[in-house]
Amino acid sequence: MASTTTPSNPTPPSLSLPPSQFARLQPHAYLLAHLSPPPASNQPSIRANGRAASQFRVTSANAGSLTHTNGSAVVRIGDTAAVCGVRAEILHTKDIASWSVLQASSEQNFDKSNEAGVSESQDEEDKGHIQDLNLLVPNLSLSTGCAPGFTPGAPPSALAQSLSHQILSLLHTTRLVKADDLRIWYQPPNLDSEEFRNAGEGMDVDTEESGGPEREVKAFWVLYIDVMIISLAGNPFDAAWASVLAALRDTKLPKAWWDADNETILCSDDVADVQRLSLRGLPVSSSFCSFEGDIAAGWRAVVIPDAEEQKQKKGAQQRWILADPDGYEEGLSQERVSVVVDRENGKTVIVKMEKHGGWTVDSDDLRHLVDVSAERWDEMKRILDQC
Amino acid sequence: MVGPIASLSQLNRADGSASYKCPATGYSILGAVNAPIELPARRDALKPEEATVEVFVKPGTTTAGVGERYAEGILRSALGKIVLGREKGFPRRGLVITLTIVGGENVERGDSYLTILPALLHAALLAMVSASVPLSMTFSATLLGVTKSGDIVRDPSPTAAKAAVSLHAFAFSSKNHLLLNESVGRFEFDTWELVRERALSICQGATTSTDGDVTMGEGTASASLNGFIRETVEDQIYSDYAYKLDSI
Amino acid sequence: MRPARAKWPKKESISDPRAGAVRPPSTMSKEAQLSIAERDFILEALREDLRLDGRQHDDYRPLDISFGEEYGHVKLQLGKTHIIVRISAEVTKPREDRPFDGLFNINLELSAMGSPAWENGRTNDIEAYATNTLDRIIRHSNALDTESLCILKGVSCWAIRADVHIVDYDGNITDAACIAIMAGLQHFRRPDAVVRDGRVIVYGVEQRVPVALNITHKPLSVTFNTFNDSKHVIVDATLKEEQAAEGDLVIGINSAGDICYLSKYAGAPADAMAIVNKTNVAWEKVKEINAAVDKVLQADLAKRAKIGMADESRAENDRLIQIE
Repeated sequence: MASTTTPSNPTPPSLSLPPSQFARLQPHAYLLAHLSPPPASNQPSIRANGRAASQFRVTSANAGSLTHTNGSAVVRIGDTAAVCGVRAEILHTKDIASWSVLQASSEQNFDKSNEAGVSESQDEEDKGHIQDLNLLVPNLSLSTGCAPGFTPGAPPSALAQSLSHQILSLLHTTRLVKADDLRIWYQPPNLDSEEFRNAGEGMDVDTEESGGPEREVKAFWVLYIDVMIISLAGNPFDAAWASVLAALRDTKLPKAWWDADNETILCSDDVADVQRLSLRGLPVSSSFCSFEGDIAAGWRAVVIPDAEEQKQKKGAQQRWILADPDGYEEGLSQERVSVVVDRENGKTVIVKMEKHGGWTVDSDDLRHLVDVSAERWDEMKRILDQC
Repeated sequence: MVGPIASLSQLNRADGSASYKCPATGYSILGAVNAPIELPARRDALKPEEATVEVFVKPGTTTAGVGERYAEGILRSALGKIVLGREKGFPRRGLVITLTIVGGENVERGDSYLTILPALLHAALLAMVSASVPLSMTFSATLLGVTKSGDIVRDPSPTAAKAAVSLHAFAFSSKNHLLLNESVGRFEFDTWELVRERALSICQGATTSTDGDVTMGEGTASASLNGFIRETVEDQIYSDYAYKLDSI
Repeated sequence: MRPARAKWPKKESISDPRAGAVRPPSTMSKEAQLSIAERDFILEALREDLRLDGRQHDDYRPLDISFGEEYGHVKLQLGKTHIIVRISAEVTKPREDRPFDGLFNINLELSAMGSPAWENGRTNDIEAYATNTLDRIIRHSNALDTESLCILKGVSCWAIRADVHIVDYDGNITDAACIAIMAGLQHFRRPDAVVRDGRVIVYGVEQRVPVALNITHKPLSVTFNTFNDSKHVIVDATLKEEQAAEGDLVIGINSAGDICYLSKYAGAPADAMAIVNKTNVAWEKVKEINAAVDKVLQADLAKRAKIGMADESRAENDRLIQIE
């Protein structure tokens, strides 16, 4: 090097590279060498970051770290860290353009659902309400400096937008939040004999009561779920989703009611009155990537074998499915798998499964990955319960 | 059941174009491909050794939002894998795929985008073929829904899709690889495998199941989606080379 | 002998520092430039009253309009310019300051589908210019009566949205988009909505016959391009002609002859008398085109009515069978 000013101590040029430089110059070969050690060396196949193929990074979660939110959480998976804050705002029904609108075709359904009572149809109704009225508004931002590529002042990247959509879509399909938790009711005073009794109980009216004037929804809580990835080292979705989950579990809504005299919504500032959200299940997301040993497999057209052939000579095929990939591994693989599972009465239920970007992973592998995800569910449940 | 309708190379300005309509789901997509094309200044996005694939999804009656970005990401990764981006003329260049949803209902904000994915994939594939983009293989895609009673429905209509317990989008390559899978809802893995089996038979026509029986999926091989893609391209080639055929 | 070339755009772009601000929009995109030979050919031909495709100066290219399955879905082809317009409606809250008015928006976004020169997701000058022109001709002239979109004062109204997709670009998108949007608005049917006990009830298409929009008048734009010191003025220029032109003139006018928009936006100065004369040409063209649109529209509605009748009779038959 020309810059060196100490000619007195000339080091002989080394023929071997230190591992850190090898990793930068030949990332693919570096990871491949770790995963397929020479048989003679008697070393186990291990990832460059020291993890086994289906091992997740150390995960920690902490809920309630932000004071000015209704619920918040920080989740760290290895070097990827996500902060999530949930803020609840009141949305008056009179401000909802579509609120006073009845779709004539669904008129009957609508009346039925007003008669309360939790049932299967209530489930459907929930999803419709939350989605149609946009009661859940997640937004994810990849903050400046979370990874080298993110510069200040840039518009939300396609990745951030895509992650926002995935969170929203998963919130809707899992029906995680119950619409009933977000409704703010008003029970008009009963002018019959029961009036007195109701007044005595304050706002804590017996909602199942029939005969009196029908109670009506006066407003909704809208949950603004802001996720910030403060450090991005691969697999942002798992971290973001876990932070959303932890923050929603932490979310407390103040007791709110319609005050007929002032024609406004009043909230109680009594801490004893706050109510937690009751979430449906605990969907946990696990992401994987498939690392192919043959770097040219994707673009040497002639060598792509038939799916059946490929299956038969599987032993020879070099491909590893890596759980919870870090940034380095993500850069070296195109094929992604993401599985979101929940557990219902001890049975594993898949809530979402997606794979794209390649053709090496098929049903056998996916079956295995669902099992891995189920194990991960136990681990995440433990972590989230403790936080 | 009414099969899909597709045609190639209708547009003049784009390098390649295709329209695809699926009567069952109501979606109608117009796709255009420009490739290879000089990409603008964003140097960091360019890969020196292969083509950069860009996908743009344009909804019919709203402005594009986060859902479109997500679908674009999925399409980019699925299509980028089958494009031979290292062929002559492609490295350092761009492959711009523009897909306009010209018919059918909008995907609502926060709705899962997978109901429209198969139609988008088909339109993109045909447009790439029309633009003579080198591909390592073709593929076909389908949408399946599982109803409350456990029946598997092919190409559910938007209302049927809303009522379904789980929805699955599959894409299989012409060589039977599982290229893409998107599943949402509540389901078990065994259900998923059944759906996958059905999807494969829709895409590839008759398939040999594991016990050696030949199961006739959705009729003859030409009724399969793969056969449909083939025939569409064949028709186009036939009309393109009509002048030669006449002279023979 | 070398014919004098179109002087304005070229000279100005070299000498005038404000050139960027006043050049006609068509030369701003990175469409492949016309070669000198092509430009000379077009100009020379015009001097002999000829156009590349054999049209007269005041001729439009063949106009082909068809409708999709849904109401308000228009496919329009003007020569090789191909446009798809979709009209949609939804119930929203009216603006605070205009509680009696509904909303109407025209949305035009250029994508790489129309021309490889257009970049996806980025606005360019053509887009801004065309959107502005369409807005002024159709929206600001109140072609669609927004007051008729009010459902319940200050609470709910219809928001009508016109999405314009330029699918193939060969010049003159303003006129083509204008025709397509107007055809779409006339074709579109919104669901019926009534107010009952302070609640708005929206009826599905199957339950009540959907309602046509209230169109007050039918303005269209006619774009002229000037050549050879505005000696030659043509309508409906193709992309090549647009590129060779020295200036353009847009006239928005309805069938009754009311001018609602007139723009000599950029390019070389044009002869004042030419503009006056061309207004008459524009009027003739608008009457002609509106008549053509009407014809297609009536044909389509008649077809729909037929299908509707068939459906109805089938439904009746079904009912009869059930009774038996």
